[in-house]
Amino acid sequence: MRDLMWGIRSLLRRRLRTVLTMLGIAVSAALLLDMVMLSGGIEKSFAELLTARGYQIRLSPKGTLPFDTEATLGDVRTTIGRLRAIPAVAEAGAVLGTSVYGRRADSLVTLVGYGIQPDAQGLYRLESGSDIAQHDTLAVLLSRPAAELLHAGLGDTLTLLGRLDPQTVAGTISRDVVVRGFVSWVYDYRGQPSVGTTLPVMQRLAGGAGDRASLILVKARNDADAPALTARLRQDFPGLEVYSVADLVRFFKQRLVYFRQLSYILGTMSLIVSVLLISTLLTITVNERLGEIATLRAIGIARATVIRQVLIEGALLTIFGGVLGMMLGVITARYLDSILTSFPGLPAAFSFFVPRPESIVTAAMVVLVTGGLAGLYPAWLAARAPIAATLRSDAP
Amino acid sequence: MNGAAVHAVRGVSLEVRSGEYVAIVGPSGSGKSTLLQLIGGIDVPSRGTVELLGTRLDTLSDRKLTQLRLTHLGFVFQRFHLLPVLTARENIELPLAEAGVRAAERRERARELLAYVGLEDRANHRTTQLSGGEMQRVAIARAIANRPALLLADEPTGELDAATGREILSLFRRLNQDGATLIVVTHDEELAAEAHRVIHMLDGRIRGEP
Repeated sequence: MRDLMWGIRSLLRRRLRTVLTMLGIAVSAALLLDMVMLSGGIEKSFAELLTARGYQIRLSPKGTLPFDTEATLGDVRTTIGRLRAIPAVAEAGAVLGTSVYGRRADSLVTLVGYGIQPDAQGLYRLESGSDIAQHDTLAVLLSRPAAELLHAGLGDTLTLLGRLDPQTVAGTISRDVVVRGFVSWVYDYRGQPSVGTTLPVMQRLAGGAGDRASLILVKARNDADAPALTARLRQDFPGLEVYSVADLVRFFKQRLVYFRQLSYILGTMSLIVSVLLISTLLTITVNERLGEIATLRAIGIARATVIRQVLIEGALLTIFGGVLGMMLGVITARYLDSILTSFPGLPAAFSFFVPRPESIVTAAMVVLVTGGLAGLYPAWLAARAPIAATLRSDAP
Repeated sequence: MNGAAVHAVRGVSLEVRSGEYVAIVGPSGSGKSTLLQLIGGIDVPSRGTVELLGTRLDTLSDRKLTQLRLTHLGFVFQRFHLLPVLTARENIELPLAEAGVRAAERRERARELLAYVGLEDRANHRTTQLSGGEMQRVAIARAIANRPALLLADEPTGELDAATGREILSLFRRLNQDGATLIVVTHDEELAAEAHRVIHMLDGRIRGEP
């Protein structure tokens, strides 16, 4: 406690310098925290997004990633029937994603249409109204942006059109549907106008022949069974791609490898800045106080005590600057996240910066170790100060 | 300076007995401060030896020498060299804490010492709030905190006015009467006159010695 008080008072001798250094450390620590959150946060957030509705496995057309192309898989009812017959499968539901149009007064509004199987859907959460029933071919569910675009309320009847004729700009297939509820689509980007109907309705609006879907979502009875079930499905359905959450996270990581590289580079740079800041300040402080240090050594204060005192001052700078930096890091992460997640095509529920306790602990530990290392050189400088020569040079 | 060694002190032989009050006088550059530093184990002679309480200082490791300075020697400097971030009491407690004295005992000893040097009402003042004379008295209290066998003072009145210098002189007299062994480097004739023995130095040698 005595050493701490001594350290705090020493730092307060040059208040402005100390405050500026702490701010510098805080900015570096904030950057480091943001980079730690960015490097691990993307995949964590993506994995959470994929399992948001509890479906651990996706089946998509051969050679494609889910919703990555407009390719569809056929004979959906048979496939779903086979999947549901497997004991380890708790639920299996097909989804068809396509472009549809909604009529508003005299104009058409472009919408994203989802055809779903209400008894096994993993795409939305009901916000208000009622959910779609299994065979309710009149029902439609709207996202808030879609409702705003269409000026639609609960119970309103809408006309959805599919397969727009480019010559006449008129839909060749149309269907009147009734708004049953407003939902939040898990994978929608911010402001995406999406509508959902039962799978057969959307299949008709999408046109084309056959019983088709973009992907099938599968929920294993237990999370622990998911890897074994994934392997089994690969054997049973060789004509389809079968992805576990881990597989999709791996693909995602490969696509965003530059984010990780960026975070490592910026994180390392922030650490170097921290080391330089702390080391420079402590070196200046030690040089200013060489006379004082020589006196301490002359009156019998051990080298270890002098080293400890310099390291304590470094640690204090690091701790106060680091705590400030952690707060700053969380605030800037939120701001940066709001910018990045507004990029088109990214799910609104997705986060680049996830403020998890382990990210904060990791960043805080790295900053603390860095602060300790930064204090080593000035501490060594203080410990080896020649007593007699320093006192002589300090003499009048 | 063509790289040749410069000897600040040469051919000096000096023995100081317990309880003695010795003053070392001489012009600037005569080697008196260097001699004091050699005696105090904060400088090392290129030749010759310094013995303190039967122990040759050159045989001690840095750690043991530091410990010896802490427990057997007291230093008083011309510029006081108190820690400005600590109070008068905390400055006095510093060598006590380093010697492992418990907090309550430290506090009591610091209180005694502050009373001894007449500064009991200044215990919680930062050194920057003290006058030169007060700072030197705190420095003397710090120097004798661990009850050293030998007190070394380098120009202790050099930064003080005549009246304050006389206070310090009186304090040294009292310390010696109470049993402290003193070696004082000074230009101050009045301070030197108080000593049992005055050693005159010139060009690194004790005057009168070969």
